[in-house]
Amino acid sequence: MTDVVRRAATHPPVVSLRDLFLAFLQVSLSALGGGMVWARQVLVEQRRWLDEQEFADILSLCQFMPGPNIASMTLCVGARLHGTSGALVSLAGFIVIPWTLGFALGALYLHYAHFGPLQDILRGISAAAAGMVMAVGFKLLTPHRRRPAALLFAALGFAGLAFVRLPLVVVVLVLAPLSIAAAYFERRPIR
Amino acid sequence: MSTGSASTALVSHLTLLSLISFGGIPAALPDLRDYVIAHQWMTDQDFANCFAVVQAIPGPNMILLTSFIGWQVGGLPAAIAAGLATFVPSCALCFASFQVWDRFRDTGWQPIVRRGLAPVTIGLVVAGGFVVARAGDTGWASAALTVAAGALLLVTRVNPLWIIAAAGVIGGCGLL
Repeated sequence: MTDVVRRAATHPPVVSLRDLFLAFLQVSLSALGGGMVWARQVLVEQRRWLDEQEFADILSLCQFMPGPNIASMTLCVGARLHGTSGALVSLAGFIVIPWTLGFALGALYLHYAHFGPLQDILRGISAAAAGMVMAVGFKLLTPHRRRPAALLFAALGFAGLAFVRLPLVVVVLVLAPLSIAAAYFERRPIR
Repeated sequence: MSTGSASTALVSHLTLLSLISFGGIPAALPDLRDYVIAHQWMTDQDFANCFAVVQAIPGPNMILLTSFIGWQVGGLPAAIAAGLATFVPSCALCFASFQVWDRFRDTGWQPIVRRGLAPVTIGLVVAGGFVVARAGDTGWASAALTVAAGALLLVTRVNPLWIIAAAGVIGGCGLL
């Protein structure tokens, strides 16, 4: 019942499958380095299909789901706006053409990867990209910075993978339940 | 290991990673790197190269990364299979979860799960960046570039494209 009320209140816009395909093609082709930034830019700012709250809600689910986050997010936004067909068309827009172009371009790069100057350029990009991945992690940590338990579990996850070199599945299966339990016992106001 | 069974092994491992890489594929990078190197499909440097290449082209980078690994292992069919194995399992799981999530959005347990999973996810993402930085590390200059790029993204609103372009130029000048 509350679901029906909420849906009615948010007035989901009427979006054609063609527009969904093109929007996610645009997100994918612009998404150099930080895909989430472009997803927000296109969906919230340019096309106004979602408001900030809806975008944040979908993002919070997709961020902790496994797999490529932006692909999951594409699927969920498509589903929200146009049901199952919307989900599939959005995902196709996000992947098919950009994957083909990217694969061709990347194969060309890799073919010349042993060419000295290109190797130097790639070394620079790799170093910067690694720093940017870590920066995204720190950005995500900002809302949790006053929670000692959150800092502890973030540090444990980092150390387990980066220093102890435990397999990912072990780290996730051990830490996730403990961290959720800690969040439960924090008894802080929610959100 | 024959090409066929190597491809199958890679695709099964990617399917597993797709389902457990909470926080996204970057969180699975250390595991993926160890797996690929242990099977001698790529060297440390090859892996770092692939990572750099997919960062330097637009599009679904992590799916492209696994596709390039597949390509190395078994050509174009393995590349396509590896790409699909990266996102199809996780997307199916996410789609199912989204239906449930949307239905129970106003209940109390959801924010608790979110608040519990987020820190673990974050630790894994940072570890992913750290391991790649260590793999390609050639000394103080490259470590400084890693820190500078991260700091720029963190405190400024500069387009990531410029950071990547500048890093390419710094590397290309032979400064690393």
